[in-house]
Amino acid sequence: MPAPTLRKLTGVFLRVGNTTFGGGLPTMAALQRELVEEKKWLTMEDYALAFSLARVTPGTNVIAFCAATGARIMGWSGALAATLAETGPSAALAVLMTQGYETWRSNAWVMAGVAGTIAAVAGMMWASIWYMVRPHLTGFKSAVRSLAITLGAFAAIWKFGLSPLSVIGLAAVVGLLWKEPPGEAES
Amino acid sequence: MNLFLLYLLLFKAVVTSFSGMASLPVVRNDFVVTRHILTDRQLNTAIAAGRTGPGPNGLYLVSVGYFAAGLPGALAGLIALVTPAFLIIPLMHWIGAYANLPRIRGAIRAVILGSAGLLLAASIPLARDAATGPLAAVIFVASFVVLSFTRIETWWVMLGAAVAGLGVKLLG
Repeated sequence: MPAPTLRKLTGVFLRVGNTTFGGGLPTMAALQRELVEEKKWLTMEDYALAFSLARVTPGTNVIAFCAATGARIMGWSGALAATLAETGPSAALAVLMTQGYETWRSNAWVMAGVAGTIAAVAGMMWASIWYMVRPHLTGFKSAVRSLAITLGAFAAIWKFGLSPLSVIGLAAVVGLLWKEPPGEAES
Repeated sequence: MNLFLLYLLLFKAVVTSFSGMASLPVVRNDFVVTRHILTDRQLNTAIAAGRTGPGPNGLYLVSVGYFAAGLPGALAGLIALVTPAFLIIPLMHWIGAYANLPRIRGAIRAVILGSAGLLLAASIPLARDAATGPLAAVIFVASFVVLSFTRIETWWVMLGAAVAGLGVKLLG
């Protein structure tokens, strides 16, 4: 097993983070293969702790996961290197894509293609909602609780005009007071 | 636009969400509804640009920053996106054990569900903006079904949607 260096660590996160499509979970799965099984820089317990805490850290789960695993392997410098390697090239590509959309805005053919992708984005957003709700529909009581919170949040902003931050705060309070049904909360 | 304000607005959206796209309601509220810095169409474009390539789902914030203030804005978006991630390091040291307490876990999951409700509310005006005809409706439903119930990657769905848009233009 080669000892981790900052260069090797950055290389792993650069390669995995910027070639894995499909969001955070595939990236975290690929990093598990690299960091735990192949390079053995992390134990499975470290990986599991980083994985679970990434889900409760504000922001994008996979970026928090990279910060946690980078820190576990090489401290703060590892965290910084892993995070920037994971996000930097993809962010540059996102800027290029945005520039491309803007530059070609007056071209009817390009805009026909862009119109198609924008409709797909709307569908993708609903898929994201389904992705967030689905793991909590593990039984009748759990489904009732989950749908009540989701639709309650929707109504709070759509019908009553509450700010998103207020709704998030209210959801946290409801979650504290309304216990998850036993045996149905292990998603 | 003032870069520090841009950073703070994007940071606020990231630090109050628990997944990549969950920041969208706060971003739309601040940038489209309240401050009129972006249009819904630009926000849709930012999401498309952020999701077409590899990397985390929250990358659309970099495009939002770019729309608001060019390349320095994109950099502000990237910094806002990654800053909250470093909270996990003290979390790992100090409160990792509490995250599995049933009440705390229940509250965190409720925040995720609440974020889904907020995302639903934010998606409706964006879907209206995207709904330009029957083809758009078909692409919308198809992308939802494919991304929800298959393992096909987002990139392929975006490519297919673009090809469908071009195909319909070619046919007339």
